[in-house]
Amino acid sequence: MAEIRTEEMLLNVGPQHPSTHGVFRVVVKIDGEMITDATPVIGYLHRGTEKLAEDLQYPQIIPYFDRLDYLAAMLNNHAIVNSVEQAMDVQVPERAEYLRIIVGEMNRVASHLLFLGAYLLDLGAMSPFLYAFQERETICQMFNEISGARLTYNYMRIGGVKWDAPVGWLNNLKAYLPRLREKMKMYNDLVTGNEIFLSRVKGIGVYDSETAINYGLSGINLRCTGFKWDLRRNKPYSIYDRFDFEIPVGQNGDCFDRFYLHVLEIEQSIRIVEQALEQIPEGPILGKVPKILRVPAGEYYAAVEGAKGELGVYIVSDGKDKPYRLKIKRPSFVNLQILPSLLKGQNMANFIAILGAVDIVLGEVDA
Amino acid sequence: MTDENKNVDLTNNQPTSEEADPKKQASEKPVSPAASEQTPVVKPAAAKPTVEKPAAAKEAAPQKPDPKKEAAQKELDRFRQQIVAKFGESVLEEAVLAKYQPTFVIKREDWRNVIEYLRFDESLLFDYPEVMAGTDYPDKGYIEVVLYLYSMKHGYFVTLKTRAPRDNAEVPSVTPIYGGVNWEEREIYDLLGVTFTDHPDLRRIMMPEDYEGYPLRKDFSVWKE
Repeated sequence: MAEIRTEEMLLNVGPQHPSTHGVFRVVVKIDGEMITDATPVIGYLHRGTEKLAEDLQYPQIIPYFDRLDYLAAMLNNHAIVNSVEQAMDVQVPERAEYLRIIVGEMNRVASHLLFLGAYLLDLGAMSPFLYAFQERETICQMFNEISGARLTYNYMRIGGVKWDAPVGWLNNLKAYLPRLREKMKMYNDLVTGNEIFLSRVKGIGVYDSETAINYGLSGINLRCTGFKWDLRRNKPYSIYDRFDFEIPVGQNGDCFDRFYLHVLEIEQSIRIVEQALEQIPEGPILGKVPKILRVPAGEYYAAVEGAKGELGVYIVSDGKDKPYRLKIKRPSFVNLQILPSLLKGQNMANFIAILGAVDIVLGEVDA
Repeated sequence: MTDENKNVDLTNNQPTSEEADPKKQASEKPVSPAASEQTPVVKPAAAKPTVEKPAAAKEAAPQKPDPKKEAAQKELDRFRQQIVAKFGESVLEEAVLAKYQPTFVIKREDWRNVIEYLRFDESLLFDYPEVMAGTDYPDKGYIEVVLYLYSMKHGYFVTLKTRAPRDNAEVPSVTPIYGGVNWEEREIYDLLGVTFTDHPDLRRIMMPEDYEGYPLRKDFSVWKE
């Protein structure tokens, strides 16, 4: 076949585009159908959380964290309270720890469900999105009952949680879990074996462990390469050492592995919640903390396993009730950096499959 | 090697659990007995006497040495020895233990060389850039760049810092070593005005390209028009 003359063209994807999951822009250089270069442009959602935090007392920072990864706000809550507690050596009552684990893991399920639905919608499958949202909605309703909000919970406090579970809430959750597991099996059967889907995600966007580590990736984006790295196991925080669960890892580091790990992790989260519901004791939900929280002067970094990866908070304190400097390690921000190198040399049709599988939330990317 | 003495010098101004500070009497109720065991050692500013310190736990703490702290101190000494053996005494401005984290302040000119060594030396292999941040200290006249590294193979962690004067904030970029700090450095450049030399793509990342000023500097007011 004769060589077809192609011309380089700049294609602007976003910032307003349904498949960018928020206000995210990529300037793609294409030669015919092939991507030769990609430049992500971010910052459209930048609110300066880190600067604002310098003017806020520690408990006041918690609602700002809700608005970073707004799909997994419970885990964000956990990140900030965990960091302050580790810096101050606050003891958290048992019941509060269990409540945190329960809502955190359920939030991970909700976040993963949204990923599964939205990713399939990106790839042209409409109904899984509706199925996934049905389950996610049930979880959001439960969070509404326990915290008073569907998305921005502001539920955790330094030293515990704000409210105990309402009467019957824990039993309702216990009754719901088998149903969720059954539904997950059905969704999995519906989607994962589908050949059209597989041909779009298998072997696409591949990278190995070494690259992932060099890029500082965490969460599923690292585990998809077969590297077992989960902060719940590798740097245990809270009471995760009491639960029996597995860390699923991928094999090929492609989009399919990243997709499928979300399915597998939902199962593990359900397992953790089940065990936590069995073990949860009665007792206080808020520890003894001073009215005005002052973090001793020094520098601290602590991280939790967020829905997207390592979610850490670096605090520089000068002994006052407000942080001198607060830096948030946002997994979405770090994970997104690998995107240009994944896109280079790919067919334009794979663009959405690769971007979607990175699983970003722009509220967290831009902070 | 005379490192051991040197190290004592560097750390002896840091309060340890053994020296419970009488100034730090609890003004409010104690947090927990465990609170007194770990005292932060890095001090960006002088601690105020108002810092809470449970009085009740004060006597209990001095008896038991913290094994975690001792292990961290051992690691600190070892990293220190290796860095000094490779680059000489002058590259290190400080070597302290921040809680359990070995922390080194490295001279700005050697920032990249030291990190390159830590990254590729077989006995260290700090391959995972955990977090990078910058902090402005106007009263001390410098901006501090912090990099937390982790060694996936050996399980070590270390904090590295370097300081750049505020009006000529230039730090060698480590993006050629870690792909993962590319955007972090751009963010520090954007929000704190630190120029990373040899960075492949140093542009503003959060703020608009024509924006003037550095929002995370302490003299930048959120409230101005």
